[in-house]
Amino acid sequence: MDPARSLGPAQIEALAQLAVSTVLLGGIYALIAVGLTLIFGIMRVVNFAHGEFLMLGMYLAFWAFVLWSVDPYFMLVIAIPLFFLVGLLTYALVMRGVISASHNVQIFTTVGLSTALQNLALVLWTGDFRVVRPWHSTVVLRVAGTAFNLSQVVAFLIAVGLTLALFAFMKWTRTGRIMRATAQDREAATLMGIDTDRVYRFTWAIGIAVVGAAGALVAPLYAIYPTAGLQFVLLAYVVVVLGGLGDMVGAMLGSLIVATVEVVGSYFFGAAWKEVLYFLLFIAVLVFRPAGLFGQRGAETLGA
Amino acid sequence: MRGRAAALTVAVLILIALSSGSGAQSLSGEYKIGVLEPLTGPLAGEGKRHLEGFEIVRDLINERGGVMGKRLVFAVADAPDPTAAASEANRLITREGVKIITGTFSSRLCGAASEAAARHNVVYWETSCVDPRFNKRNLKTVYRTEIDATGFGWYNVEFIAKHLAPRFNMKPNQLKIAFLSEDSSYGQGVTESARQRAKQEFGMQEVGLEYYNFQTINDFTPVIVKFKQANPDVVHHIGYSNDAPLFWRQSREQNFLFKALVHAGATGYGSADFGTALGNDGNGVFALLEPGPGFRLEALKPEGQKIERDFREAVQKKTGSYPRGGHQLAGAGLWLLKLVLDKAQSDDPEKFQKAVLALDLPVGSMINGWGVKFSETGQNANDRVQHYMLQWQNGQLVTVWPEEFTTNRAKWIPLGAWDQRK
Repeated sequence: MDPARSLGPAQIEALAQLAVSTVLLGGIYALIAVGLTLIFGIMRVVNFAHGEFLMLGMYLAFWAFVLWSVDPYFMLVIAIPLFFLVGLLTYALVMRGVISASHNVQIFTTVGLSTALQNLALVLWTGDFRVVRPWHSTVVLRVAGTAFNLSQVVAFLIAVGLTLALFAFMKWTRTGRIMRATAQDREAATLMGIDTDRVYRFTWAIGIAVVGAAGALVAPLYAIYPTAGLQFVLLAYVVVVLGGLGDMVGAMLGSLIVATVEVVGSYFFGAAWKEVLYFLLFIAVLVFRPAGLFGQRGAETLGA
Repeated sequence: MRGRAAALTVAVLILIALSSGSGAQSLSGEYKIGVLEPLTGPLAGEGKRHLEGFEIVRDLINERGGVMGKRLVFAVADAPDPTAAASEANRLITREGVKIITGTFSSRLCGAASEAAARHNVVYWETSCVDPRFNKRNLKTVYRTEIDATGFGWYNVEFIAKHLAPRFNMKPNQLKIAFLSEDSSYGQGVTESARQRAKQEFGMQEVGLEYYNFQTINDFTPVIVKFKQANPDVVHHIGYSNDAPLFWRQSREQNFLFKALVHAGATGYGSADFGTALGNDGNGVFALLEPGPGFRLEALKPEGQKIERDFREAVQKKTGSYPRGGHQLAGAGLWLLKLVLDKAQSDDPEKFQKAVLALDLPVGSMINGWGVKFSETGQNANDRVQHYMLQWQNGQLVTVWPEEFTTNRAKWIPLGAWDQRK
C-alpha cells in the first residue's frame, strides 16, 4: 500500500498529521540540542552528560509537581537559574580540570559524569518510571482532524524563543562576541585580554541551564527514569552535527530535518528504520559537509 | 574448661533449634542451594523481590518437612550483569559446593548463569527469565519452570481467539490484528509466536507489523497514522514502561479507535507504572500475567488451594500486599523444585532429570494455579503453566480470564470511544 498514490481526504488528513507531528517533535529536539551545540561550539567539548542534565530537569519537574503541586511550566522559571548554578558547580568541580586536556580525556570525563549522574538518580529515586500529569498534559487542540498536543506546542514555541534569544545574544551582545572570539582562537583571545576560563564557565552554565529547562518542559510528555536522557542525547548529536557546531539556528533546522527523517521514514519504511535513516544522514553530512549543512567550510577545525 | 565450652555449644544449638520454629526440629541437617539474583545495579528492585519470594517459599517448605528430609538453606549471590552471573555461578559451585542453582529474573542473566552451571554438570533451575533461546541449547541440566516469551504469544492469541472474538460477535478468522513491538528478544519472541499462531491456527488477518527500539522511540504518530488506515480490531503491543504509556497517550490524542489492546508480561502495560501514569485513562488494556486480584482459590485443585492460600498469606504477612509478579514466579519455581526433590530424593543430575520428566500435574495443582509437565528440553509446558489475562479497571489490574479462575469480568469490549471508558 502506498498511501501517497491515492490522495483522498483520509490521506490528506494523515499527511497533515504527520507534518504537524514532525514540526512539534522537531521543537523538542531543538530544545535539547541548543544547549549542546552551544557547549560544543564554544568549548569544543563533547558533553556526553548532556542527556543526564535533561533527566535531572525532568526529575526536578516531577518532584516539584508531586511534593508541592507546582506546574512544570512554572518550574521553568526556577529551573533556569537553578541549573545555571548546577552548571557553575559542575564546571568548577569537573570540567575546569580537563578544559585544556585532549579530546579523549574530555570524553572520558563527561562519560564518567554521565554514568555517575545516572547512578546517582538510580540510588536516590530508584529505577521506577515516573510520570507528571498536570492538567494541560491531556489537552489536545484539534484543527480539521489534525491533533496538536498542547504540551508539545508549548515546548515548540519555547524552543523557538530560546533559540532566537541565544542567537541574538551570541550575535549582538558584547559577551556573545567574546564567546565567539574564544571559540575561534583561544590563544589569541587570551592575548587580547579575554578571561577564557570565565567564558567557558559561563558557556557551560548557560548550556546546562537550557537543557535543565528543556527537562522541565518535556517532563509532561515522556516517562521519567534515570536513563531517560539517553533517549534523546544521541539524536541531539546528530542535530548538532547537521546544523553545524555552535550554530543555534542550524540546530533548529537540524532538529526539523531529523524529525522529518524520523517521521517520514517511520511512516514509509517502518519505525525500526528511523535510526538507520538518520544515522546514514549523519554519516553523509560528516563525510561530505563536515562543518554541517549550514556551517562554514573549515569551521570544524577551529580551536582543535 | 573444655567441658564447659561443649555444654555451652550444645545449649546454643538447642536454642537455635527451638527458635527456628515448629516443624524444623524433625529435620536433620541442611541442604544448600545457590540463589543468583541481581541485587545491585538497574535490575536490583526486581532481583530483591524475587529473592523475597524465594525466602518466603523456603520458609513454607521448611515448615513442611524441608527437602529430602533436610532444612533448605540458601547461598545467595549477586549477579548484576551476565559476567557476574557466570562467575558467581562458578563460585557457588566450586566454593559453596552447591548442586542446584536457581534464579535469575532477567533474560540477560539466565543464559550466562545456566551455561556456567551446565559446564559443571550442576542443575540450573530458572524460575523467571523468558528468553526463548534458553532451552534450545541442548544443556542437559537446565530447566525452566515459567513459560518463555513464545508461551506469552501463545496465551495472547488464545485469549484473542477464544474470548475476545466471540464477544465482538466475530469469528477468529474475521479479526484484523496489528502487531506492534519493541525489538528486544522479549518483544520479538512474544510477537513472532503470536503472529504465527494467529495466522496458522486461527486464520486472523494481519494488517500491520511494526518493531521499534524502546530506548529511542519518541513519537508513535507515524505508526498510529499507518495503523489507523489499516483499521485493526485488535492491537497486539509488547512494550516497556516508557513506550507503552506514550503509545496509549498518542493513540488517544489522535483518536485511534480499535476494539482491544493486548500485551504480555510485567513491563509496559503490565507494570504498576502504567496505572500510575494514566489512572482511569488506562482503562481497558489487557496484560497477560500471573494471577492478580479476583483470582479464585476455589478454582484450584485442593492441594493447589492450600499452598496458594498459605503462600498469599505469607507474602501478605511479610510485605503487606498481594503477591507481586516477582514473588509469584520465584515462589512457584521454588515450590516446584521441592516437588521434584521429593520425588528424586537426590540431586544427582540423572535422577533429578528422571523425576522432573515424571512429574505430571494438571493445571491448578500449585502456586499460581500452575500445573507441571516438562519437555525433554527442560521447559515446562505452555498449557500447564496457566497464565491469566489481567485488565486495567479504574487504576487497578484485575484478573479477568480464564473466567473460571476469577470473580471479575472483562469490561469495555469492544473499547468504544476514548472518553467513554469509565
